[in-house]
Amino acid sequence: MRHVPDERSDDRSVRLVRAAQRGDTLAMAELVDLLAPYVGRVCSAIALDQGADAAQEALVAVFRSLRTLKDPGALRGWVRAIAVREAVRVAHRAARTVPADLSALPARGDPQLAADIRDVLDRLSPEHRAVLMLRDVEGLDERTAAALLGVRTGTVKSRLHRARDTFRKAWTS
Amino acid sequence: MNELWPTTDLDPVRRLHALAAGVRGAQVTEAYLDAPFERVWSLLGDLEGGFGQVVTDMRRLRVVRRQGERVEALARSRYGMGARLRGVQRPGWCWLQSRFLLIGVAATPEGLGTRVAFTGGVRLPSRAALVPVGVRREGARSVEKLTALL
Repeated sequence: MRHVPDERSDDRSVRLVRAAQRGDTLAMAELVDLLAPYVGRVCSAIALDQGADAAQEALVAVFRSLRTLKDPGALRGWVRAIAVREAVRVAHRAARTVPADLSALPARGDPQLAADIRDVLDRLSPEHRAVLMLRDVEGLDERTAAALLGVRTGTVKSRLHRARDTFRKAWTS
Repeated sequence: MNELWPTTDLDPVRRLHALAAGVRGAQVTEAYLDAPFERVWSLLGDLEGGFGQVVTDMRRLRVVRRQGERVEALARSRYGMGARLRGVQRPGWCWLQSRFLLIGVAATPEGLGTRVAFTGGVRLPSRAALVPVGVRREGARSVEKLTALL
């Protein structure tokens, strides 16, 4: 299910960003509709039940600083970085718990896939979920994911390894 | 795998907060109303009726063109200015701008009631910025008027 992400935003997005930066609030409204599903996906994968709060805060941050986006073609990556940052922050604020101990995961039997994914995601830390989502949904390589999360590539590799291992165990046991 | 990841759809009230963040000087007034969404939106969604009664700046709003969600209306504000408003309207959402005005209204079902949010005001000509006078008071008055009509 890996895909190579199209990092450059399409003509419509570029046009909307330029119009929004010039002060056209209708273009901004259209941009909200365009970005909301994407931001919702990124934030929910990381912040889970706080996904809607995180997505709202991410979009608030996006529109507050839209004027500073110099290259409208880079919109998608720019929005993704903001969404990941806000989702991790909101997830930590909501949880206020110790990071999940991945080694303590029980084996799962006869998986109903969606339910199990959710169950496994619940047991990962927000950063683990971010790494997994960036790699498996967004198709980013470890280096890009590491830069986005502000950690070393080695850290991402080990997080990814553990997160994927957890998934594999949950699905196959 | 993508379709198995959790996702969320941002309701109109949340979208309004996001948009308002991009408009300098804008304030969002949010309220919970003890009335079902259908009833609330039958008022707010009626641009030539309930909408003008609730949004304090507007009177005599007349829809001159409608194409799908896109709408164009002529309005006379209480400041006496004639305005040609253009924007988008759909259930739970209305966002209109003219050169000098900005109006945003959102509503979403919440439990047995409805959460509503208002923003807008007098616009700095053609910019994503409002004259920061009375924007908070106007929102509160819209909520009061809407509550009285329900």
